[in-house]
Amino acid sequence: MNDSFSESLKLLLQRMMPLLSSIFLIAFSYVPFNVFFSSNVHASVSVACVYYWLLHRPDVFNLFSVFVLGLFEGALSSAPYGISVFQLLILYVFVSNLLKYFNGKSFEVMWAGFVLAEFVALFAKWFIASVFWAEFLPVQLLGFAFVVSVFAYPILTLINVFVQNSLMTDEA
Amino acid sequence: MKRRRVLFVQLSHIRLLIKKFALVILFVVAFVMMLLNKTDTVLVDRTSSVATDVVSPVVDFLNLPAKGISFIYDYLKDLRLARRENKLLRAENRKLRLISERARSLEIENRLLAQLLNYKRPDEENLITARVIAEEGDAFSHSLIAYTGKGARPQKGQVVLTERGLVGRLDKVGHIYSKILLITDINSRIPVMIEKTRVRGILAGDNTLQPKLVFTPLFSEIKEGDRIVTSGVAGVFPSGLPVGVVSKVSQREIRVLPYADLDRVEYVKIVSYAQEENPAQVETEGGDE
Repeated sequence: MNDSFSESLKLLLQRMMPLLSSIFLIAFSYVPFNVFFSSNVHASVSVACVYYWLLHRPDVFNLFSVFVLGLFEGALSSAPYGISVFQLLILYVFVSNLLKYFNGKSFEVMWAGFVLAEFVALFAKWFIASVFWAEFLPVQLLGFAFVVSVFAYPILTLINVFVQNSLMTDEA
Repeated sequence: MKRRRVLFVQLSHIRLLIKKFALVILFVVAFVMMLLNKTDTVLVDRTSSVATDVVSPVVDFLNLPAKGISFIYDYLKDLRLARRENKLLRAENRKLRLISERARSLEIENRLLAQLLNYKRPDEENLITARVIAEEGDAFSHSLIAYTGKGARPQKGQVVLTERGLVGRLDKVGHIYSKILLITDINSRIPVMIEKTRVRGILAGDNTLQPKLVFTPLFSEIKEGDRIVTSGVAGVFPSGLPVGVVSKVSQREIRVLPYADLDRVEYVKIVSYAQEENPAQVETEGGDE
């Protein structure tokens, strides 16, 4: 009885690993380092995580996980609550439709796909936020965030690959 | 038996329907959340404060390794710069002693003149020192989350400073953590003035690194390098707090470079002035934004 309970708990934890690791990474991106770079250099960690897990483990990273991640980021950010959820839901629709084209492709193709997904996600957020405030938000920082995110993707992928290979089994 | 089956069928139907329209439902939920934000009600405020209190410990925990890296980096940098800095500090100390003497005599003179005019001094401020645990500065918002502790009772709208100057004001106040809206955020509006000429205006953030100076009188003389301080209009911010320096003057806009290094803030001072404790005034200021 105890064994089966601990087994199911272990399985549940493994199935929640994509969501937990994404929450961990998003929280980490808000930590002020005050050392190497300024706080205005922010990669879209949530977008990278949603993109990765939807492509690699859509069975354990579903719509609900995307929603929870959006809520978590919304609580950390001072942008209006709901904008992050909206952005990630749009990304969910986008990636879900592209799933069949990217399945089993090389990392370079996935990366190119991320460039597209990041552009769509950032543009969507920018558009919604601009409508919300009835004012066009500055595009300079947006462009900066896009470039930083694109170059941060391989590092974030490495972390996610580690989580997938080391902390999750095939059963999960 | 029949009734149970009906209930079972209905539940499964509802479950199927929810599954089918989950995406649409979540989009609607997100939209409703944004609309509620726009209304700026007490309920939204409280929910946001609770949310900040719930998620901030995760970031606070992750601060430990960040602090370690930061400490090692600072230690090595300090070692390298110690000799040169020591020399500079000695020279600065000599200058500061002279300024301190002058300030002391001016303070005495000021007190005597105030007595002569029967001038009532503004109340002393209450200070809370808070540690910054999270920062955000992108195209969508500019804010900080600070650990204020359980004992302190900061209030929404209070002034946030560093040793260099104004940082912003308290936006969401939780039991342990509080969110600070930076002066560069799109929601920030601060009444300011040019220190020398006393020309008034509003410092308006637009999510760039240098906020705009707006609503200045036509044909007013504003030059690059002019110091900007708070004007004290509306009573939320006391007058004379250092804000920044005019960095760009063109026909279209005037930009201000904040004194405080907003992307490298470690500790902040949350200041409560007697005037701010009138919630009506704070609300009016928040409402304008």
